[in-house]
Amino acid sequence: MHVEARIYLIEDDPTILSFVTQALAGRPGWQLVGHAGSVVQALQMAPVSGANVFLVDLGLPDGRGEDLLRQLARACPDAELLVFTVFGEESRLLEALQSGATGYVLKGCTHDELLSAIDQILAGGAPISPILARLLLRQFRPEVPNASITASPEHQLSERETEVLKLVAQGYVNKEIATRLSISPATVGTHIKNLYRKLSVHSRVQVLRAAQERGLL
Amino acid sequence: MRVPAWLWAAVLVSLMLLTMALVTRVASVEGAVPITEARVWQSGESAEDASTVSLPHSWDNSHRRWTGEASYRIDLPAALSEAAHADPGVALLLPRVGVHFRVLLNGHEIAGEGWHSNPGYSDAGTYAHVVPILPGLLKPEWDRNELVVQVRGEALRISGLSQVWLGPQDAIWQRHHWLHWWQVDLTWMVTSAALLLGLLSLLIWGQTRERLFGLLAGGLLVLVVRLFLSVQVQLPGPFALWDFVHKLSFTWYCGFVYLFMWELFDFRQGLFRKLVNAMMLVAPVWMLVLTLAEDYVLYRAWMTVVIGICVMALLGVIHRARWGIDASQRLMVVVGLAVMVTGLRDYLVVQLGFPGDIDIRWMTPGSLVLMFAMGWVLLHRSVLSLEQVGALNAELAQRVREREQELQTMFDRLRSVERQRIIEAERRRLTRDMHDGLGSQLVQALNLVRASGEKVDSAAVAGMIGHALEDLRMTLDSLEPMDGDLATILGTLRMRIAPALEAAHIELDWQVQEVPAVPGLEARGVMHLFRCLQEVFANVVKHAHASRVTVSTYTEGDAVVLSVCDNGVGLGRWAAPVAGMGGRGIGNIRIRAAEIGAEVLFEPARPGTCVRLKFRGAAEHQENGFED
Repeated sequence: MHVEARIYLIEDDPTILSFVTQALAGRPGWQLVGHAGSVVQALQMAPVSGANVFLVDLGLPDGRGEDLLRQLARACPDAELLVFTVFGEESRLLEALQSGATGYVLKGCTHDELLSAIDQILAGGAPISPILARLLLRQFRPEVPNASITASPEHQLSERETEVLKLVAQGYVNKEIATRLSISPATVGTHIKNLYRKLSVHSRVQVLRAAQERGLL
Repeated sequence: MRVPAWLWAAVLVSLMLLTMALVTRVASVEGAVPITEARVWQSGESAEDASTVSLPHSWDNSHRRWTGEASYRIDLPAALSEAAHADPGVALLLPRVGVHFRVLLNGHEIAGEGWHSNPGYSDAGTYAHVVPILPGLLKPEWDRNELVVQVRGEALRISGLSQVWLGPQDAIWQRHHWLHWWQVDLTWMVTSAALLLGLLSLLIWGQTRERLFGLLAGGLLVLVVRLFLSVQVQLPGPFALWDFVHKLSFTWYCGFVYLFMWELFDFRQGLFRKLVNAMMLVAPVWMLVLTLAEDYVLYRAWMTVVIGICVMALLGVIHRARWGIDASQRLMVVVGLAVMVTGLRDYLVVQLGFPGDIDIRWMTPGSLVLMFAMGWVLLHRSVLSLEQVGALNAELAQRVREREQELQTMFDRLRSVERQRIIEAERRRLTRDMHDGLGSQLVQALNLVRASGEKVDSAAVAGMIGHALEDLRMTLDSLEPMDGDLATILGTLRMRIAPALEAAHIELDWQVQEVPAVPGLEARGVMHLFRCLQEVFANVVKHAHASRVTVSTYTEGDAVVLSVCDNGVGLGRWAAPVAGMGGRGIGNIRIRAAEIGAEVLFEPARPGTCVRLKFRGAAEHQENGFED
């Protein structure tokens, strides 16, 4: 299914803006609907831009990218939030995913790699790394049985998703995972994207539970 | 104002002495007649050979040696002739008679103690005896009545007859009760008090091992033995044995009490102390000689030595203490002096005939006071010890708190230093990695740009900068917490090397499986592993001419193994320069492998080569990287 991409870039580096503009020139029908160089500007303009893909830099000059992601996820729940980062710092990526990001793409990639990443996310897939998979497995540890606040089953890892994460953590790529699990590579991507959505809910449940354990709830 | 204990004791002891002096004035029994003379003859002599002696009569004080038996004929006072036939009649009071006796009235035996008993320990001397004069046995002619007290002595005991009384039975019994209370009941009281205090002292000594309590316990328990034997009329076993114990116990009692006081005053050395120690050691031998020789004179000589040493020792204590140092010492001085007074009084009244009740000894209540004084000292000492222990504990707790604080400060400092050291080590590692990796890549790019002049090979420069970026990413990846999870570490590396393999048309066969976590693969270890594998893969790409490379992990015994096998040209290629590092490829790999505790093996695979990294002992941990 071909989906048109309406992209909004939140980035303070003009060379990146230039890079994205050049990349999008190679894909007719995709357009850059807006650009913001700060959190304040992004919060004013991005929600009303009509974009379905947001490219978000985490290191903005006037605020934390994670906070921006959280607000964008609330304002535009159907949009894809791609983190645009220089390094795949998984610990920080995890926080971004918990804040509502649905994928990430590394700065320094080629035009084709950027377009491919946007394609993948619009097609229902998502990128992942072995370290990130490992961190996710930790995040989705089995819940404490007697905890009064629990994530609903649809927000916990399924058996298949756990298998996918374990294989990713062992370094297998989507194609190999698909072969091993007898599913299509696209399904593997879908599982990963679902994982990200579950992660933000799961992390909210964990916050509530931590508050309960400390007697705050 | 608080009155010191020793002052209280001085007042109380003075009052006690005064009271005793009043109640033990020259004895008088209402209506009774004291008998102060008797005619006495020894066994083997007849009544005609009798001589007149004054009472009390002690065999050991006589000029000639008295042994065996003696008969004392007592004249019945005419004043009692009428009372003897009235109701309840008259009676004879024998306050002290020793050691065995019987009383004959006109040839009829009317009383006795130990006279007919079997051989063994028997001593009636402590008890006062009342002998009713039976009217039926009296002759009408009062003057013709014969009252004879027969005494059988023991060579090792004072034998003889004390002053006796004849008088109405009521008055005699009243006097008897009074004497019994002083001589027997009071002795039991002292015995009980001494036993209680002795056991208490023994218990404290057992707990504290403090010499003072050991000496006190020794003295008191020895006294218990002596007093117990004093109030026993008969005991099983030979007389000589019990007499030996009885006499020895007195010497040891004196010795222990003296040593106790010496210890109380904290006088560790001294002539008297040596004398007392010698006295206690010599006493058993002396008593044995005395028992064998059966000569009471030896005992008197010994007693003179004992009393002499004790008196001198007490005076020495008083002198050295200069009227004592603390309340306990002053109390003991006061009580010690009082006990000396009681002993002196008994000696003057009983031995020298000074005015006073000859039948009553002051030493017994004196001993009781001494017991209480010692008990008070014991209690005081224990309370002081407890207070000292409490104070010491408080001080100790304070010191422990201070030390804890110091330790905490030192620990914090150490932790800070350690943190700094780790940060410094990590900084150096990152610097080295960036220098060797990113730095050299950038230098190469710079040189390429400079060498290209106007015509910059942008593809080559982009490739080099791309490599630099990848190298930097790899360094950052190594900082991610992977907890020794080999599969994840390899997965991360795969993302870096896969494009190069693909470009070289080398198929990557990924056979990585979960293995136990490898200790030592922290950030620095991960970087070493990355570099090792970088060299291995660079060799595969550049020199192996392989079409396929297989990466696998598995366990082998207690080891976790990482294997990289290609189907290329074999081991010989390792002699060729690798990754721009000359022929140092294998050496570098070995050094880095050693850094992470791995054994590296280069093996032929026919075709191709296998490079194996063995992490020995890692499989014993059995911790999976995903589970931690």
